Amino acid sequence: MVFILGVNFPERNLVKKSLESFFGVGNLSSTRLLARFHIHPTCKVGELANKQVLDITAALSDMKIENDLRRQYLDNIKRLKETGTYRGRRHALGLPVRGQRTRTQTKTANKLNRMERRV
Amino acid sequence: MVSSFCWGCLTRLPPAPRAILPPTLTAQRVASFHSSAALLAPPAKKQNKPVGGKFRQGNSARMKKKKPVERTRPPAVGERKALRKRIILSNPNALEIPGMKEVSEETMVDARLRGSILGLPVPMLDQLRAVQAFKPKQGWSIFRRPGTVVRRETLELGRLIDGISGEGEDKGKVVKKIVTGDRSTGKTVHLLQAMSMAFTKKWVVVTVPEPQDLVTASTAYAPLSDENPNVYVQPEASAALLSRTVAANKQVLSGLTVSREHAGLLKSAVKAGTTLEDLAKMGIQDPAAAWNTFQALWTELNATSPAPGFEKNFKPRPPMLVTVDGIAHWMKESKYNNVDVKPIHAHDLVFVQHFLSLLKPGPSQSSLPNGGVLLYATSASNSPTVYALDVVLKQLAARQAGVSPSSPEFPQPDPYLNADKRVLATIDTSKPVAPKEGIPEIQTLGGLSREEARGFMEYFARSGLLRENITDAWVGEKWSLAGGGVVGELERLGRRLRVTAA
Amino acid sequence: MACPSSNGLVHAMHSLRQTAQLRSFAQRSVLSASAPIRHQQRQPARGYATEVVEETDKTTEKPVAAPEIDFSQFKSTPTRIIPVSGAYFSGSPKFIDHLLKLESILAKYAPLPTVEPTEAPRMAWFKLPQFREVVGEPVATKKYQSLLKILLRLNRIDQKLMPDEVRDALALFTRPGNPYGFQPAPPTVNENGISRAKGKRKEASAVVHLVEGEGEVRVNGKTLVEAFPRVHDRESATWALRCTQRLDKYNVWATVQGGGNTGQAEAVTLAVARALLVHEPALKPVLRKAGVVTVDARRVERKKPGHVKARKMPTWVKR
Repeated sequence: MVFILGVNFPERNLVKKSLESFFGVGNLSSTRLLARFHIHPTCKVGELANKQVLDITAALSDMKIENDLRRQYLDNIKRLKETGTYRGRRHALGLPVRGQRTRTQTKTANKLNRMERRV
Repeated sequence: MVSSFCWGCLTRLPPAPRAILPPTLTAQRVASFHSSAALLAPPAKKQNKPVGGKFRQGNSARMKKKKPVERTRPPAVGERKALRKRIILSNPNALEIPGMKEVSEETMVDARLRGSILGLPVPMLDQLRAVQAFKPKQGWSIFRRPGTVVRRETLELGRLIDGISGEGEDKGKVVKKIVTGDRSTGKTVHLLQAMSMAFTKKWVVVTVPEPQDLVTASTAYAPLSDENPNVYVQPEASAALLSRTVAANKQVLSGLTVSREHAGLLKSAVKAGTTLEDLAKMGIQDPAAAWNTFQALWTELNATSPAPGFEKNFKPRPPMLVTVDGIAHWMKESKYNNVDVKPIHAHDLVFVQHFLSLLKPGPSQSSLPNGGVLLYATSASNSPTVYALDVVLKQLAARQAGVSPSSPEFPQPDPYLNADKRVLATIDTSKPVAPKEGIPEIQTLGGLSREEARGFMEYFARSGLLRENITDAWVGEKWSLAGGGVVGELERLGRRLRVTAA
Repeated sequence: MACPSSNGLVHAMHSLRQTAQLRSFAQRSVLSASAPIRHQQRQPARGYATEVVEETDKTTEKPVAAPEIDFSQFKSTPTRIIPVSGAYFSGSPKFIDHLLKLESILAKYAPLPTVEPTEAPRMAWFKLPQFREVVGEPVATKKYQSLLKILLRLNRIDQKLMPDEVRDALALFTRPGNPYGFQPAPPTVNENGISRAKGKRKEASAVVHLVEGEGEVRVNGKTLVEAFPRVHDRESATWALRCTQRLDKYNVWATVQGGGNTGQAEAVTLAVARALLVHEPALKPVLRKAGVVTVDARRVERKKPGHVKARKMPTWVKR
């Protein structure tokens, strides 16, 4: 078990996959992180040296990920609503925000667009 | 044109072809020309349909419920790969061939053995396995014991290796060869033959059996040092190389001792009496030091004289055989990324750099001062297309054919195709400093000659795989079918189980 | 001697002839005072290929026919315009004129010796659409077939004895130019000892150069192995040489294009067999037996509208 940014990962997991489990780290960011610390893409968590684990943790803690990013997300939506913009209204009504049709196929918008969006 | 055949004789031909044609040909109207007629195909599977009696039933759109899948434990990590890479070298069902000769110092230069099969000595098999000379799909498992056919190139190689380790004028010569050829013309087996000869002559054999593994970003990498962060070292791969080398050359390495101090290694570990085997084992145990250890080992193996203080027990180093099977993978950008997320060129990997630098003449002395052979093979089945490498090989061939580099016929890279300059510079054919160092040559393997092919097919027949009368005509026919004696194709034809309808 | 024609046609011709006779009779009686117009003189007595038997039956009626009217003697214009052809009212007068003319010629020269149909010179008769254009009338397929039959019968007359009249008549029905006149020279081995032949199969077409040698085979410059990865294809490509045991006596240089693996391999087979026949014509029976001389003319059948594939129909749906 290896701790990266306070999260425990089993040793058999891929490093890349593990990094992508953080909210806000996708394919691009994880590739960049791996390249920065010279970790090959098929590396397992168990194969990381201690220094590399620390490096990764430090790099991740500098990035805006997880709860910080979620909060930013919600703040942005809230700002739109409070300034009374059309986009804010659409969010509040649970309708598509970017001009999509509403006659059909608004499932995603119904599910996601609300004031307290789950992210 | 006058035909060399007698017309009268031709009219009496029919009996012979009738013997060849399957007798059922007249009854069967389909597919009239080939020996593997539809008759010989496996019988069609019976379809499990209820026949007759039942009424037609309507199909409802409802999907059938999925049956719960029985999940067994997946095989352990690495087990499936081990199964895939498993190499079986013996088949007790095959007949033993009486009087089969083995690779030895005498047989490897004996021209009379051309076209016969030389067995690999049983004690050597472990060494050959250690350097991964056998590949899984080569069909060793159909014979009683592994053996290779002696062809023209084999004999040439045998003479070469004999000359380099002998006391004649060829002693200490360095021969650099790039082995190319079409698919399944025996390039890898040629390397195997070279290794078996080198082991017979007590050479040191260093091999890279899977160059691809170094560039697919599947082993760890790190910058070599702070001074040159753009060169990368691969510790695990280096350790693997060391362990291959040690396992295969245990006998030779344990007889040699360290001849100088090495900057990259712990001074306490490397003392005057340390054998090279122990030296190499340090690198295997600690992959982080593997590359430095390999460099130390390399310097030791290439040492011509001991440093002061190390004269005791110094023995002259044996010649070396260095083989790489599939260099095309090393001629393009690897899958590794540098800090700026740009792909690292394979030539920036220090491992690759080392082996490719051997193709160039050494700066002050020969690249292999104790003599030896470099055999770098290309692959026809598993190789990326690298335009620059094609050009390089063409240039080599042209130079060998006597075309001067300044003449207009000399192949030049197309300026619009962006040939990789680093690859173009890989092979340097300038005059080497050391007198015994050769310039890189290209060796193109083709098909076997008819006589060699006959010997090869007889081997199949005597192993009990082939139930045919091996005649010249039959061999000639197979020789043509195998695209002019391509050895892999001959093997496919030989092992194909034939059920003659007669 | 009777021309073998379909029953329906025979009946049609009978009625036509009878009406023609009747009409000429009527012309003679009714229009006796009419003036002549310039026209072709018609044959007064016809020998019908189909009517020999009947004519012998009607010998008693024959003398009743009135003497022929000489239209040139008429001084005044006729009250009614007389059609030139007796078949004017039949709908396709020109065609019937042609038919009757040919029949009369056939009747005239029937006794001449004939040759077997295979030995008669091959003639390029008009195709039906062309013939329709030439006569400018609708001609039924069946009727044209009966005309062709007569033509073929006339064509069978021994060439040495064929009268010019027949020759001219036949020439009227041949297409301009002579598509069958050009006989390509039989292929030979050239001065370098190379024979060249072509072969086709499916969508592939191959050109093979065959020369005596050691059994090297190159397809599009590649070795046999590279060109045909499947052993089956390799075997079929060299089958002509193999079944004659010539595989190590000739070198093959083949260029093949189009189609897939099988098509290319078997196109090469055919071409090799043909090229081999140029070198050694005596091998033909062997090659024929091996099945490499016969051209496989099958091609992929086209897809049709309304079908799912060439023949397959959509599933039947009630409503």
